[in-house]
Amino acid sequence: MTIADARARLTDKAIRLQYGETLIALADERRDFVVLTADLMHATGMEGFGAAFPDRIINLGIAEQNMAGVAAGLALCGRLPIVCGYAAFTALRAVEQAKLDLAYNGVKAILTGQSGGLSYGVGGPTHQSFEDVAIMRAIAGMIVLVPSDAAEVDACLRAALAHDAAAPIYIRLGRGPEWAVPAAPARFVIGQANRPRDGDDLTIVANGAMVVEAVLAADALRDRGIAARVLNMHTVKPLDTRALIAAARDTPAMIVVEEHSVIGGLGSAVLEALSELPHGPIRRIGIADIMPPIGPTRELRAHLGLSADNIVVQALALSGRA
Amino acid sequence: MAVTFAPFTVAGLADMARQNRIDTAHMFMAAGNGHFGSCYSCADIVTVLYFALMRLDPANPDWPDRDRFLFSKGHAAPTLYSALIRRGFFPEAWIAEYETHVGSRLMTHPSRRYQPGVDASLGALGHGLSIGLGMALAARLDRRDYVTYVLMGDGEINEGSVWEAAMAAAKFGLGNLVGIVDCNGLSVDGRTADVMPMEPLVDKWRSFGWDVQRIDGHDLDALLSALAPRRADALTRPRMIIADTIKGKGVRFMENVRSWHSDAITPAQFAAALAELAGTP
Repeated sequence: MTIADARARLTDKAIRLQYGETLIALADERRDFVVLTADLMHATGMEGFGAAFPDRIINLGIAEQNMAGVAAGLALCGRLPIVCGYAAFTALRAVEQAKLDLAYNGVKAILTGQSGGLSYGVGGPTHQSFEDVAIMRAIAGMIVLVPSDAAEVDACLRAALAHDAAAPIYIRLGRGPEWAVPAAPARFVIGQANRPRDGDDLTIVANGAMVVEAVLAADALRDRGIAARVLNMHTVKPLDTRALIAAARDTPAMIVVEEHSVIGGLGSAVLEALSELPHGPIRRIGIADIMPPIGPTRELRAHLGLSADNIVVQALALSGRA
Repeated sequence: MAVTFAPFTVAGLADMARQNRIDTAHMFMAAGNGHFGSCYSCADIVTVLYFALMRLDPANPDWPDRDRFLFSKGHAAPTLYSALIRRGFFPEAWIAEYETHVGSRLMTHPSRRYQPGVDASLGALGHGLSIGLGMALAARLDRRDYVTYVLMGDGEINEGSVWEAAMAAAKFGLGNLVGIVDCNGLSVDGRTADVMPMEPLVDKWRSFGWDVQRIDGHDLDALLSALAPRRADALTRPRMIIADTIKGKGVRFMENVRSWHSDAITPAQFAAALAELAGTP
C-alpha cells in the first residue's frame, strides 16, 4: 500500500475541539483548576467550557505577560492554573514570567500552546511557532510535552493534571484536524516514550503531528524490507533517555523528525542525550533556520519535508538504498 | 492564631524602621556594597506593614489566611529581610551571610526557596503586580479575607507588564489588592523624570480604574492610615498608594544621590551611616 493510500484511510479530529472536550470532562473531577486566557477562549475551543464553568475561566485580555504572572499568584495560593493560548504567545511573549514566576517559584501550572508548529500555517511566522520547544526546554524545571493526535491530547492533559510535581508544564498542541495515529498505544506516561512500531533496522523518533508521518513511513519501509522502530517522544523533557539508548544499541541509524526548528528542539535533545554514547548516524528532519513560508498546514508541512515521503527518502539514503 | 504585632506605637515603629536601616547596612557591609538608596526609601513602608498592619504568623509562614506582601522592587530585599528577621521568621545570624558565599540564604533579591516568609521570589522588575493579582483572585475564589500588598519602584513601573496588571485588577474589581509605588525619584541611570517620565502618576492610576492616594512615604501616621487593610468592605476597586519618598532616607550623605542606588561602601562610610542611624553623630 502506498503512503497516499494509507493516509486516505486515516481519520482525523481537530485538536482544539478535543482540548475543550477534555477540559470539560475533567472539570468536575478536578475542582482545583482554573483556566486563564488572553482573549483566545473561542479560538482555542474553550467556548463550551466558558459557558459551562463561567467562574473558572479568567479572561485577562490580550496581555500574556500578566496572564503568566497571574497564573503564578493563583498557583502560590493552591490553585492549578491552566493557561490557554497560542504557542507563539504563551511560550514567547512571557518567557521571563515562565522562568521566574512559575519555574523559579516552583509552582505547578499548565501552559498550553495551541497552533504550535505550522498548524496555523496560513498565519505566517507571526502565528506559527517553531522555536517554542527550544525555549521552554531551556527553562530549568520546565516539563515539555508534545502530544500527537486528538486521543493523545486527551491522555496528555489528563496525565498533566494528575502529575504531582511543583513544576510548570508546557504542552505544545496543534490547532485544526490532525490524523489519528493508526494502531497506537493509548497510554501516556510523562517521561516514557511510546513505541507504536517495532523494528531493529532503523529508529524514527518523532512527536506531535510528525508521529503519524513516522508511522506511515515505517509501514511503507516495512513493505521494502526495512523494519523501522518508531518512538513517539511525546515528552521532550524529561527525555526518555533509556528508550533512546536502547534504540541506539538496537538499530544502526536514527531519524528524528519534528515540526520545529532544527535548533533546540527534539532533534537537539536526542543528540545531547546520545552525544557521549555509541550510536550510528542520526539524521534530523525539522524546519531549517528560516522564517517558514505561508501555506495550508498539510501542504506546508509536505513542502518543508515534514512528511512520511521524506522520512522514507531519508531512511533509504541512510540504509544505502537511495 | 497570629495577630498583628501589637506592642508597637508610632514611636516604636520609628525605632523599628531605624533598626531596619541598621540591619540593612550590616548586610551591605558584609557584601561590600548594596542598594542603599532603594532600601532606605521604602524602610518605613515595610516597617509599617510588617509591624503594625499585616496579619502574619512567623511560626507558620504558609498560613493560608496570612496577608501577602510582594516585594516587587526586589533589589531592595534587605529591607524585607530585616522585617522578617525582627518579626521572627528567620534568625538574625543570617545577616552576616548576606551575599557572602555559595549557598548564602540571603541574596540581592528575595527568594521563597531559601527564605521563610517570602511570598514570591521577585527581582526582575514588573512581575509583582501580576502575581499579586493572581493571589487576590485566589482569595476571592477561596472566600478568604487576606489582603495582598505589592510594593513597586517608580522606575519599575516603566515595565509594560505593570500596566497589563493595572488594567486587569480594575476589570476584576479587586479591592483586596493594594499597590504601593515607592516614588523616590531616582533609578539606576538618573532621575526617573529624565529616564522615563511617568507623571502624573495619580491621574494615570486613577484613569486605569484604581482608588489612588498620594502620601509622604516617611510619615508613619499617613502610612498607617493609607495602608490599613480593609477586609469587611465590599470594595470594588484596587487601591494604589503613591508614596513620595527620599532615596537613601536616614543617612544624609546618601539622600537623593544617584550613585547610592547601588554603591560600594567603605568602613568609614559604614561607621558614619551607623552613627547617624543610631542618633550619635
